Amino acid sequence: MSDFVYFFTFQDASIAFVVIGITLLGIGSAYVGTYSFLDKKALLGDAISHAVLPGICLGFMLAGEKNPIYIVTGAFLSGALATFLTSWLKSKTRLSDDAIIASILSIFFGFGVVLLTVIQKSGNPEMAGLNQFIFGNAIAILEEDLYIYGGLAILIILTLTAFRKEFSMLVFNADFGKSIGYPMGAIRLIFNVLMILAVVIGIQAIGVVLMAALLITPGAAARFWTDKLGKLLLIAGAFSAVSGIIGTYVSFIIPQMPTGPWVVVCLSLLALISFLFAPKKGVLSRFIARRYYLKKTHQDHLLKLIYHGIESGKSSFPIEEIYQSFPYRKRETKHTIDELIKTNLLTINQGFIDFTSKGKSEAKRIVRLHRLWELYLNEYMNIAPDHVHDSAEKLEHILTPELEALLENRLNYPKLDPHQENIPRDNDEL
Amino acid sequence: MIINVDSPILEIHDLTVSYDQSPVLWNVDLSLPAGKLIGILGPNGAGKSTLIKAIMGLIPTTGGYVKLFDRELNDVRSRISYVPQRESVDWNFPASVLDVVMMGTFGKLGLFRRPGKKEKKIAMDCLEKVGMQSFIDRQISELSGGQQQRVFIARALAQEADLYLMDEPFAGVDMATETAIFQLLQEMTAAGKTVIVVHHDIHSAMNYFDWIIMLNLHLVASGPKTQVVTEELLRKTYGGKLNLLTKVTDIIRQKDFNPLKN
Repeated sequence: MSDFVYFFTFQDASIAFVVIGITLLGIGSAYVGTYSFLDKKALLGDAISHAVLPGICLGFMLAGEKNPIYIVTGAFLSGALATFLTSWLKSKTRLSDDAIIASILSIFFGFGVVLLTVIQKSGNPEMAGLNQFIFGNAIAILEEDLYIYGGLAILIILTLTAFRKEFSMLVFNADFGKSIGYPMGAIRLIFNVLMILAVVIGIQAIGVVLMAALLITPGAAARFWTDKLGKLLLIAGAFSAVSGIIGTYVSFIIPQMPTGPWVVVCLSLLALISFLFAPKKGVLSRFIARRYYLKKTHQDHLLKLIYHGIESGKSSFPIEEIYQSFPYRKRETKHTIDELIKTNLLTINQGFIDFTSKGKSEAKRIVRLHRLWELYLNEYMNIAPDHVHDSAEKLEHILTPELEALLENRLNYPKLDPHQENIPRDNDEL
Repeated sequence: MIINVDSPILEIHDLTVSYDQSPVLWNVDLSLPAGKLIGILGPNGAGKSTLIKAIMGLIPTTGGYVKLFDRELNDVRSRISYVPQRESVDWNFPASVLDVVMMGTFGKLGLFRRPGKKEKKIAMDCLEKVGMQSFIDRQISELSGGQQQRVFIARALAQEADLYLMDEPFAGVDMATETAIFQLLQEMTAAGKTVIVVHHDIHSAMNYFDWIIMLNLHLVASGPKTQVVTEELLRKTYGGKLNLLTKVTDIIRQKDFNPLKN
């Protein structure tokens, strides 16, 4: 607990620095990543993040120590080479995108691991810190390194903000951009540079293996919550920053604990929550909407059952008989009847069910929609009368009053459906 | 039957286009008059969209050149509006109807500058012209096919151009919308604009277009509709495969290089 207070009150200036750094780079990479996710280029981020490893190692070998300038430059150049090779191979060969990306990723990463082993064998005492680049360690980042990473993150955020309209056009409709004379090739190039930079600044904190998650997951998770680009970028940035800070905290309290995996665990959790609980698009709200719909369907069918009974001359409806009409669904039917009584559509008297006047007009409405739709199918779509029932059984629950009016109008307020049954209007006697 | 005009708004000279190895357009050579509603007709795979994209410089050409307003494309871009095929974009992109229509003003706005009140006003006026003013804040993913086409046409109107090139603006559109859009296009040509439309329905083409281009890998005909739409030319455009041309294409594809390339 005292660790928690110590960390989050930022008494230690170096912790405050790290938190600011991780927040900036989280927002920066989520920002770039959201665009590449919308552009359906999520895998490219993965390839770039693996491809920077040989650059890091070469930078280290040239400098002989963990010099941030050498390492960032090396990482950037090898990321750029990988990106260039990806598009070059695509234009020169008939290989598919996924094959190209998978090959680039594994070739570069494999080469990087070879270099890493060579460095390990060389016995350089500075070597110890290099392993951090695989899974990342935010706490171990030095202050002067943070200036570079933070500065680059701010550069990314500012560039994306300044070019927002251009990048949106690149993703949504690049051909149109080209047709109005925008240099779409150059804009694509700038975007790729930002993407590589976003990977480069994240490698020490998150690590090359997991950096792709920080690029793509925030945008993918945020997409569940909104349909507006501005909000999407904000939510993605927030998800990413929160996960970054939590990951850093874990690295702080548990020595030697890498940051990257924890950031990814947090992000995945946020993504899972979004997937399950987001309004409208989440699994839960879709499940609830479906449940509600099924309940409504059952109510409609029950009202129709009584209506059809009255229509064929029955005068009393014992509740047991209704249960039998829906075999194996007694509990559900009982529940539905209770609901209908509560909403004042049915009444119950000594085990006998009857319509209220409100219930009667609701039942008429459902039967009317059913029969109007049957007639429409028969007259306008030339479907035989014995084939129209199933479709009407489904659509009677969802036809809106506007569509009802339209159907009435098209069919010229008909009296009978294709089975010569009466189409009930509200004033009709039942 | 290829009818050429004096001082054309668009002149295409011996244009040849290939995708990878295979030529998809052979030596198209035509000139078009200003202020007309012009239809490009032809069967599937005839190279209609390719022709429009080549005019807009969106795909590399193998040979020939295009002149617009007697100038190079880059000198006159602000006077030309291009409407891509509806299916060519991802309509799940998080944007509103207004966002998309506003893109029409980006050409005059230039890089960096953000659209403001003036651009919004233009976009709203154009949405009204296509009858979509009540959809301004709607997400584009929620639109029907016909509504998406109208949004694209509103975006084109927002460009305030003189020459419009539209790629299949009637694909996936119901009859009522088709009639409404055709009326709008006729109003535009009456006001002196030139509208070139890729289209595949001969019946409505006969009703609405002034000038018709018939294409089937090569140019079959170009001219006023009364002179061009003959049984013989229609058969040449739609009937039967161009066996010989397809065979030549096959031979070229099997080579390691494209002999048509300069």
